[in-house]
Amino acid sequence: MAEDSGGPKAVDKWFDRASPTYRCVVDPTHQISSLFGWVNVPSAAWIDEDGRIVRSAEGVYPAETTYRFGIGKVRLGDKAFARATRDWIERGADSEHVWSREGLAERLKPVDDDTLLAEATFKLALHFEATGDSARARRHFATAERLAPDNWNYLRQGWTHTGTAYAYLKVLRRTNRLRKTSDKRYYDPMGLPDENYRRFVEPEWLWTPAVRHLKQLFRR
Amino acid sequence: MIILANGKTNEVAQRTDANGALWVRLDELRGATGWQMKPEGACLGELCVPLPPNRREDWIADADDWVWFCYSEFADMIGQKHVRDGDVWSLGSVPEVRRAGLESAIAPDFEVIERNGDTLRLSDLRGHKVVLFTWSSW
Repeated sequence: MAEDSGGPKAVDKWFDRASPTYRCVVDPTHQISSLFGWVNVPSAAWIDEDGRIVRSAEGVYPAETTYRFGIGKVRLGDKAFARATRDWIERGADSEHVWSREGLAERLKPVDDDTLLAEATFKLALHFEATGDSARARRHFATAERLAPDNWNYLRQGWTHTGTAYAYLKVLRRTNRLRKTSDKRYYDPMGLPDENYRRFVEPEWLWTPAVRHLKQLFRR
Repeated sequence: MIILANGKTNEVAQRTDANGALWVRLDELRGATGWQMKPEGACLGELCVPLPPNRREDWIADADDWVWFCYSEFADMIGQKHVRDGDVWSLGSVPEVRRAGLESAIAPDFEVIERNGDTLRLSDLRGHKVVLFTWSSW
C-alpha cells in the first residue's frame, strides 16, 4: 500500500522494480494509515482469518536496508519483523508474537481531538495539492503539522510538496533535534525480542567535515 | 461543493447557509459521508445515532424541492472533526467508529483500487491471514 499523494506516477517504478507477487495499491489520500492510526512508513498490521488485528508496528523493514538519502546513505532495519511474520503465518495464534487482548488494548489507544482535526486538515491539503492549488495546500499542510507534530506521514508528505530536497533537509533537521532534545524516536520499537534497529534516520555523510563546516558558516 | 470523506472526493449539491453550516441533500448523504437516514436515526453501517428530538426540525429541512440534512451540526454532536476551505469540506474519522474498532480489534474495512484495476475490499479477505504493509516514495 503506497501512501503517496503523487499517485501511480510517483510509485510505479518502485512497484515495477519489486516485481510483486502480492496485491499492490496506491493510496493517495493516506486512507489506510488514517484507519490504522499509523504515523510513519513502513508500517504493517497482521490481520487474522477473523479480521482481527493481532499485531501492528512501524519501521517494519523486511531486512537491513541501505539507501541513499540526499547526499548521504542511511541504514535501517533488520530481519526481526520478517522472521516474526513468517512465524505468525506458520503458527497463527500460537505464535509468541501475537499480541494478547491486553497488549492490543494498551497499544491501540484512542486519539485526541487535535489528531482528529489534523487528519481532516491533512486530507484538505492533499485535495488542494491534487487540484494544483499550492498556496492552500501549503497552508493546510502547515496546520496539520502543527496539530500532529509526531505524525511523520503528514510532515514528510507535506514537506515533499515543497520539494524532495527540502523534505530531506527537514527530516534531517528534525531527527537531529529530536535526538538531542528528547527520547522520542523516529520509529517506535516493535517490541520484538531480537530487533536491532536504528530508530533514527542516521545518514552516513560522505562529506561530514565539509557539512559541519558549512553548518558553522550558516550559524555565523 | 466538494466533500472529502472516507478517502473519496464527492461533488454534491450546495445549499447556501448564512451560518456557514454544511447541508447535504438526503439523497446524496450516503455517497458523500457514508451515513444514511433511517427511522432509528443516522446510520453508518451497524452504528445508528438517534437525532435529538429537539433538533430534528432544525437539522432536516426542505429547500429547492429537496430534503437537506445539516451535516456539520450532526458531526459536531458526534465529535467528528470537519474543516472547510471555500467550497471544500473535509471530514475526519468518526470517533465512535474508532472507539468500537479499538475495543473489538477488528480491522477497519476499506475499499481501494488495486494497480491492476481490481477493487480490493479488506473484508473480502476474511478467512485468510493478511499482512498489510504501507510504504511511500517520499
